[in-house]
Amino acid sequence: MVKVYSFEGCPWCDKVKRFLDARGVEYEVRDVEESEEAAKECLKISGDLAVPVTTIDGVNYVVGFDKRKIEELLATA
Amino acid sequence: MKERIHKDVVIIGAGMAGLTAALYCGRMNLDTLVLENGLIGGQIANATDIENYPGFVSVRGGDLISTIQTQAENFGAVIDEFDEIEKVSLKTSPKIIETQERIYEADVVIIASGMNRRKLPLPEEKKFSGRGVHYCELCDGHAYDGKIIAVAGGGNAAVDAANFLTKYAKKLYLIHRSELRADDFSQKRLRANEKVTIMLQTDIKALRGDKRLEEVEVFDKKSGETKTLSIDGIFVNIGVEPNTQLFKDELTLTASGRIPAGEDCKTEIAGVFAAGDVREKEIRQLTTAAADGTTAALLAEKYLSKLKETDLNG
Repeated sequence: MVKVYSFEGCPWCDKVKRFLDARGVEYEVRDVEESEEAAKECLKISGDLAVPVTTIDGVNYVVGFDKRKIEELLATA
Repeated sequence: MKERIHKDVVIIGAGMAGLTAALYCGRMNLDTLVLENGLIGGQIANATDIENYPGFVSVRGGDLISTIQTQAENFGAVIDEFDEIEKVSLKTSPKIIETQERIYEADVVIIASGMNRRKLPLPEEKKFSGRGVHYCELCDGHAYDGKIIAVAGGGNAAVDAANFLTKYAKKLYLIHRSELRADDFSQKRLRANEKVTIMLQTDIKALRGDKRLEEVEVFDKKSGETKTLSIDGIFVNIGVEPNTQLFKDELTLTASGRIPAGEDCKTEIAGVFAAGDVREKEIRQLTTAAADGTTAALLAEKYLSKLKETDLNG
């Protein structure tokens, strides 16, 4: 399952979500402001709290909106 | 092979100028496509409080843009924010816009590609980008809750960013190479905040850190003193540059890299209009961007009508 670490009102997070919606990809939103657990997970994955972070396995991830990198990540699923 | 699609109007950029043009073009029943590589809304997508757009006491950039986007889409304009433009040929008829996925043939092109934030001109910028060096306070500010933040810049965008970031920062430095240019209202708000230290006539000389940014070296031009500040992150607002790379072989650009066009937004190529901050002009505000979008759309429609008349009469 694709996970998107993000928060409400973050414009690049919204762009990643719209991109996944447009591609018909299901994903779980992990809100790093609402959930301390999500923030800890995000820190563990990328070493930072900068979002959006998109990941499938929690090891490979893409920070920000980078269409090509997200497509490559999705191709590994 | 890429699909070829004809459009009456292709608008490049979905900031205030581009979306306003899309709204008007859609309303005139023109087959209109807007292409945007970055954020819909452009420079104001990240703006927290806009207080100088008529009709709103205070509005978030994202909310204002979202309303205009809905207006444009309700009138039939299509916005594609995922297909990136690879090259353009504006001197041909029709004009060609080739994206990663398609080739668009357009009778009219409205360039509303706006401006990009200037990057911190230091070799370490790349190493720390996203790891302490940031360009979007709304996106990344939350990661600095209880931390020490610096803001580079002295214009309205920088001071507004600093004001916004004080809600997270335990300490905030505003560092600027000359004097503040931001309006009095924003400056007063910032100066009144006890967490804030304003360092003017100060250059940022170096960024340091292991895996992420830990320190900045600054040079006080008045005292001649060099200081090292321990910080967790820096938000850069040192100005903008026109987003005209795509057009440099097609159009003559001004010394500042903008597109020369008068109040009618017409460029040197018939059927190509420049609207908003990308057009060379003295005043660049949200309201003037909206005005440019309106002008470009209405004159685009006139140009299209003439083009169709010419085609009909052979």
